[in-house]
Amino acid sequence: MAISSAPIGRHLIVVDLGFGDAGKGATVDWLCSPEANLGVAAVVRFNGGAQAAHTVVAGGRQHTFAQFGSGTFSGVPTLLSEHVLVEPMALAAEADRLAEQGVTDPLSLLAVDGRALLTTPFHIAANRAREDARGVGRHGSCGMGIGETASYALHYDAPRVSDCREPEALRSKLRALARHCRPLLERSGHTCEPIEVLVDMYREFGRAVRVTGPGEPARLARRGRLVFEGAQGVLLDEWRGFHPHTTWSTVEPRNARAMLAGIGAAGSVLGVTRTYTTRHGAGPFPTEDPGLRLPEPHNGSGRYQGDFRRGHLDAVLLRYAIAVCGGVDGIVVNHLDVAGRTRVATAYTTPRGIRHTLVPGPWRNLEYQSELTSTLTTAAPVLTDLPTDPLPWFERFLGVPVVLTGSGPDRSARRPRGSFEQVTGPSPAPAPPAPDRVAGGGKLEENSI
Amino acid sequence: MGYGNWDHSAYRAAKAYRTRRGIDDFGYTAELRDQPYDTWKVHPDLDPFGVTARECRDSAEHGNSLPIAVLFDVTGSMGRVPVIMQSKLGKLHDLLKNKGYADDPQILFGGIGDADVDRAPLQVGQFESDNRMDEQLRTILLEGGGGGQKSESYELAAYFMAEHVVTDAWDKRGKKGYLFLIGDELNKPRLAARHIRGVIGDHVRTDISVESIYRDLAQRWQVHYILPNQSSYYHDPEIAEHWNRLLGQNFLRLDDPAAVCELIALTIGSAEDRVDVHTGLADLRDIGSAAEAEVVGRALHALEPKALPGGSAH
Repeated sequence: MAISSAPIGRHLIVVDLGFGDAGKGATVDWLCSPEANLGVAAVVRFNGGAQAAHTVVAGGRQHTFAQFGSGTFSGVPTLLSEHVLVEPMALAAEADRLAEQGVTDPLSLLAVDGRALLTTPFHIAANRAREDARGVGRHGSCGMGIGETASYALHYDAPRVSDCREPEALRSKLRALARHCRPLLERSGHTCEPIEVLVDMYREFGRAVRVTGPGEPARLARRGRLVFEGAQGVLLDEWRGFHPHTTWSTVEPRNARAMLAGIGAAGSVLGVTRTYTTRHGAGPFPTEDPGLRLPEPHNGSGRYQGDFRRGHLDAVLLRYAIAVCGGVDGIVVNHLDVAGRTRVATAYTTPRGIRHTLVPGPWRNLEYQSELTSTLTTAAPVLTDLPTDPLPWFERFLGVPVVLTGSGPDRSARRPRGSFEQVTGPSPAPAPPAPDRVAGGGKLEENSI
Repeated sequence: MGYGNWDHSAYRAAKAYRTRRGIDDFGYTAELRDQPYDTWKVHPDLDPFGVTARECRDSAEHGNSLPIAVLFDVTGSMGRVPVIMQSKLGKLHDLLKNKGYADDPQILFGGIGDADVDRAPLQVGQFESDNRMDEQLRTILLEGGGGGQKSESYELAAYFMAEHVVTDAWDKRGKKGYLFLIGDELNKPRLAARHIRGVIGDHVRTDISVESIYRDLAQRWQVHYILPNQSSYYHDPEIAEHWNRLLGQNFLRLDDPAAVCELIALTIGSAEDRVDVHTGLADLRDIGSAAEAEVVGRALHALEPKALPGGSAH
């Protein structure tokens, strides 16, 4: 009942302003936690797929979230929206790992939009075969079939989540996909399980997980605040990233904003950054400094991604990221504990002179993005010291308030700042316990229909 | 290279989703548990009555089919073995396929009970090469009966396998299949004609000796008996003597039933000359079956001390 009387705060969109790994998972975990008390009804994933790796450490529990939303430890449900690429085999494995971390029946916390594309073993094998063939010219793919899923769906009738309930339709789509991949896979050494095995598994998936439709975000929003959890970083965005070292996904908040507009709501965008820059995979990285020995307990080398790369903070890229997001409402700064050990680039020297900014070009102009890539490849950073307390610097330089900080991996290391409530809106009061909140929301929905 | 190395196989994922829906790994048994016992019967898919032949055939995709039959005692004391098979089936199949122990394995599962007293004395599935195997297992009735007389109707199962199974491996290539009987008791003293008539439907008028049926069976099958450490019979010399006499070195004791899939995989791999026992044990450790490797090593006598040069064993 508290929900009907208390105003619900603004919906929140969490995006990474770098190349990924800045701490979206830890941020979303905190936003959903009882400590934050923000009345979050659901985490909505609006891009990416099983390649996401959002590490959350909370009171002795640790999990690297891939398809489940990072609010799962607090019992907050996840919606995999139509923009997510769903991989049911990895999802089952993730559910098992969450159960080992003490989450009761993780799959009950999940709803999946029937329109979402399925990433299948064929996509994964094709992805790996292609990336193997590139040799040293690798794109830095995660090898998890994301690009293959997206590109195949552009041209063909691709398998979608709703097909899991239509074995005949699914079978014929999988057969077509297998035929499509066969020439690529034949000599690659990558194999797939038989189609019948997959059909059976997808059917079980379709029965075990709640498959939803376009009305789901509105239904969830009636229960409380939505947190949109982005995957990867906006500098990897398919149209705004540095082509070709990008992901086949709209990483910037466009799709999340569109979903909110679809239910007549708006939200605040929180841009997440570290106090330095990292990149996992190939591509330009002007401030890269292999000499930076910063601890990285949760990111190792991937077979397809290569080493985890580190560099100084890059204000040019940060401002570009904020610009391509269409602005952000608040900044989340993580890894404050290593502030003072890194520097910041405020400009580049390039063969054509000093550059202070990268200007976003027309949307979906990959030629323009390639030019940016070559600019960055030849750029040398102009480095200055980052203050030991870098927060005033962030606010002054970016013109956006820092609303939340993290000074360690654990949930307890996160602190909201004074400006937090201006950006997020009020928290519900008094806070009802989580199960009541869900039950109450359900009743409210029935009454309102 | 198989699919994925950090995620589930499709088989494991399907199982995880089934579990989430609360479906018992042995769904048919669970279904019958709510019915009166005298209505229990073998699932039609596994009923041997009137079956001309179970077939293991080559296909376009699998041109070199290798028949593997696993029939286990489903009486009370052995109940854990089918459950273990269920949980490790994916691993068995992975080992056979990915480690190259067998090219095109096709696996048949069956259950053995007591034809004198049980409602389901014999259950025989089909040869399958994909996760329909898993479905067969789920359809097996774990009757849990038997007991008391230290014998089960293994000889009836042996008769079915000798007379009612057709394989391309044998017909086209003269190659024997692998049959694993898993249990902890003796054969009945004789293969009773009335059991054959009643359970399988063949018009046989006279009883057959156990020795002669296993001789017939050995023409086309490499027959193994696995005695898992499950019951008091594990150390009963009569059981060991009985099976040793029938099968010689193919009588295997298994300290821990949890290693039954690994034992089967390695037995096939080494009989097919695809792997020696020591490499196979290393393979098992690689896939995270270190404890099983230990147990399998003992079952195959691979870990016994070797004679040292100079002749002194230590």
